[in-house]
Amino acid sequence: MDLISNLALGFSVATSLENLVFCLIGVLLGTLIGVLPGIGATATIAMLLPITFQLEPVSSLIMLAGIYYGAQYGGSTTAILINMPGESSSAVTAIDGYQMARKGQAGAALAIAALGSFFAGTVSTFLVAVFAPPLTVVALKFGAAEYFSLMVLGLVMSIALAHGSVIKALAMVVLGLLLGMVGTDVYTGTPRFTFGITNYADGLNFVALAVGVFGIAEILRNLENEGDREVLTKKVGRLWPSRAQMREAFGPVLRGTGIGSVLGILPGGGAVLAAFASYTVEKRVSKNPREFGQGAIAGVAGPESANNAGAQTSFIPLLTLGIPANPVMALMIGAMIIQGIVPGPDVAVEQPRLFWGIIASMWIGNLMLVILNLPLIGLWVRLLQVPYFVLFPIIMAMCAVGVYSVASNTFDLYAVAGFGLLGYVMSRLRLEPAPLLLGFVLGPLMEENLRRAMILARGDATTFVTRPISATLLVLTVIVLVVVLLPAVRRGREEVFTESDG
Amino acid sequence: MRFKTLIAAIGAATALSSAAFAQGYPERQITMVVPFSAGGPTDTVARLVAERMSADLGQQIIVENVGGAGGTLGAGQVAKAEADGYTILLHHIGMATAATLYRQLAYDTLNAFEYVGLVTEVPMVMVARKDFEATDFKDFIEKVKAQKDTINMANAGIGAASHLCGMLFQSSIDTQFTTVPYKGTGPAMTDLLGGQVDFMCDQTTNTTQQIKGGTIKAYAATSPERLAIFPDLETVTEGGLPQMTVGIWHGIYAPKGTPAEATERLSKALQGALADAKIATAFGDLGTSPSSAQEATPAALKEKLESEIARWKPVIEAAGVYAD
Amino acid sequence: MTDKNNTDILCGLALLAVAGLFGWQVFSLPIGTATRMGPGYFPMVLSALLALLGVIILFKALRSPEPDEAKGPLAWRGMAFILPAPVFFGLTVRGLGFVPALFVTSLIAAFASGRMKVWQAVLLAALVTGFSTLVFSYALGLPFRRFGPWWPF
Repeated sequence: MDLISNLALGFSVATSLENLVFCLIGVLLGTLIGVLPGIGATATIAMLLPITFQLEPVSSLIMLAGIYYGAQYGGSTTAILINMPGESSSAVTAIDGYQMARKGQAGAALAIAALGSFFAGTVSTFLVAVFAPPLTVVALKFGAAEYFSLMVLGLVMSIALAHGSVIKALAMVVLGLLLGMVGTDVYTGTPRFTFGITNYADGLNFVALAVGVFGIAEILRNLENEGDREVLTKKVGRLWPSRAQMREAFGPVLRGTGIGSVLGILPGGGAVLAAFASYTVEKRVSKNPREFGQGAIAGVAGPESANNAGAQTSFIPLLTLGIPANPVMALMIGAMIIQGIVPGPDVAVEQPRLFWGIIASMWIGNLMLVILNLPLIGLWVRLLQVPYFVLFPIIMAMCAVGVYSVASNTFDLYAVAGFGLLGYVMSRLRLEPAPLLLGFVLGPLMEENLRRAMILARGDATTFVTRPISATLLVLTVIVLVVVLLPAVRRGREEVFTESDG
Repeated sequence: MRFKTLIAAIGAATALSSAAFAQGYPERQITMVVPFSAGGPTDTVARLVAERMSADLGQQIIVENVGGAGGTLGAGQVAKAEADGYTILLHHIGMATAATLYRQLAYDTLNAFEYVGLVTEVPMVMVARKDFEATDFKDFIEKVKAQKDTINMANAGIGAASHLCGMLFQSSIDTQFTTVPYKGTGPAMTDLLGGQVDFMCDQTTNTTQQIKGGTIKAYAATSPERLAIFPDLETVTEGGLPQMTVGIWHGIYAPKGTPAEATERLSKALQGALADAKIATAFGDLGTSPSSAQEATPAALKEKLESEIARWKPVIEAAGVYAD
Repeated sequence: MTDKNNTDILCGLALLAVAGLFGWQVFSLPIGTATRMGPGYFPMVLSALLALLGVIILFKALRSPEPDEAKGPLAWRGMAFILPAPVFFGLTVRGLGFVPALFVTSLIAAFASGRMKVWQAVLLAALVTGFSTLVFSYALGLPFRRFGPWWPF
């Protein structure tokens, strides 16, 4: 069979001693930089990209891919340990992962995240190998109308991110959408909400927002009553998840892998939804939805798997079309071009060693990550025993360097301070940061696609229901809305009754 | 005009001290600012050239990506940098078009920089979705004119190469199309591949591999002569639109007041790099070629910038689109 | 009914204020038509939506008060030191250079905690700066100037 000989070729390339070493270096570097707070995959790749220019094309791409997974993994580690996500996907992990850490279950959360990611990585690598070309055809069927409907579905799902008031969560989504509008309008070039500051013309920096509303707000919260109590649990607890926890995580991992694999294929915005969508699904199918937000293991296992699966399948558009699905992929294309390979639709045929070598190395990289990280869990967990007043100046310094290194834009650093304040105010008002972040990520995509769809349809809004894929997504949206709102309505009634009784 | 007097004074002062300066330059690493993000086509050009220039200069040239606002943030940063020859800028045609596209630039394009030289001029290709029914460029023009109400032209956002080329195409054939802007070439190309939009005009850096793979159709090259990689593809001049000849030229600049010794030394290093066979091959893969030794000079770049500002001003003003 | 839920009242008012701020900015933006939506179209809808949600939260808080949960004191000292730290880094990284800017940034942040003694803070800042300089500047070769043009040497 073709596939087997191709995979054999891939593994023969990827397991050459040299490439194994580069894969390991990539994974190591990615993890090391990624665990520094406030530095996510994009920042890491941007920092490490020049290093790879000196290498052979295959080796450099294998190393870059390694950096990518490594950084993503490292980002989840900081999200769990100190509530400091470096990417939109790990923002979801932070919700329940950090709560687990506070309960002394950091080890279990990290282990589940590692194992779930590995499982998802294995499955989705296989999907990439087998289905890359046919899946590409599906991805190309997604036009502006389809993307808009997908974003609507994503936003409706986001309601489940809230563990408090649904209306407050909605308000945060809307605020996130508005913050996402800051910057130059793609269609007319008009600057919006920038207050005349050109440095914000390309929008607010995601890392600055995530670090501010999650991480810095958390630091400030911990500094509130420093005097009278210990700020962080010193309880380390067991390093490994219990058998019951493993069993509990199994279903979420499977579902997360499926969701992530599907959404990752869509260039431009699919992958960012993966972790959020998985969280929603888990909360819905869970027997104890109230646990979510308090340290539910499914809230870590599902999104982490979805995120990793999406990270793998987002290589599909890159490998089959030569088109980057996200900024990280764009950087990888730059790396290829410098190496004299201009990626295009023929890359699999023209460069079989490169194409299959990268696919094989994806799996090897994931394997290395698990082997590397499981023993490291002990070390990370011990980090929590460092007194908090020593830890947070380090966090602040790393955030400053990390945010600045993304685009050498000093205004991003001022934004960090602003969002830190916003995050703290939000936490005092019992407003949650996760829906805000989702809105921020989806806002520009949603507006862009809405306007594009309207232009393409010459103002005919029925385009959203006459195009089959878009219509299907909207029907799904309605179903989700009904399923999500029904219990809320019922609960609302109960409350009314209890009140009149009392 | 006190600002200009100040600059002139600084220039005079540096000229006096330049005798001693010339001997040692460069003594430490040079920062080359690229006003776009890492991994993009301009960054690629910069890194390729920087590597060869470093070898010639005996000092490392470090590429720093200062992206944002169509390249004007990075350019503005270099305009304000110390004029000591250790901060330089690699920018493309946007240097000239931003002068009109942005009505409130933080720097004066013609008076804030010294010139090092031209690097390369990347041609563009008019491409359409692969099932577009037109036999050649003349036929293409007729077809798009006939369907102008239903057809869609994509571009990669305001100020992008594809936006400039699209404006030029519209003014050349005196027809307005429905334009669909995207955030970058990637998503625009995806929608062209999927047939969601009908045509666009973009740099060979972005289109070559797709044309070769047969996923999109090419109708004309905007270069004065036929492209080496597509010898069968006619030029816009052959197709009857000589005024559409355009290339995305790249140049290297230094802040105003940088000693002439430094810019000339850099220019020499640039010429050396561009003569390198490896650079020619790498550029060739991208569908472009290095500028000649005569073009890689301060005078040639100055002339290019001035003439291009004059060329684009009416086109942009006619389109009535501004980026601020 | 005297014990109103102050958190939610404040929350509703804050959201209304933010909606007002965005809404006020939208006025200067062209709204456009449904076919060719202007830059103000989507933000206008969103500002209105945010204002509506703010009103609902406010209304609910005033109508059916739940007892407010107990909260700790505001972290004034934390805000006074933590928030300026990244701002200082942004203001000085180009002028002073990476090494001194980062040192002072860590130092400022360190004083956010009352438990930090001066010598500990200086030591910690020095360690952080040393580590970061080694990793980012030397090992990764990021294009930072270690000492900027504000220094006489």
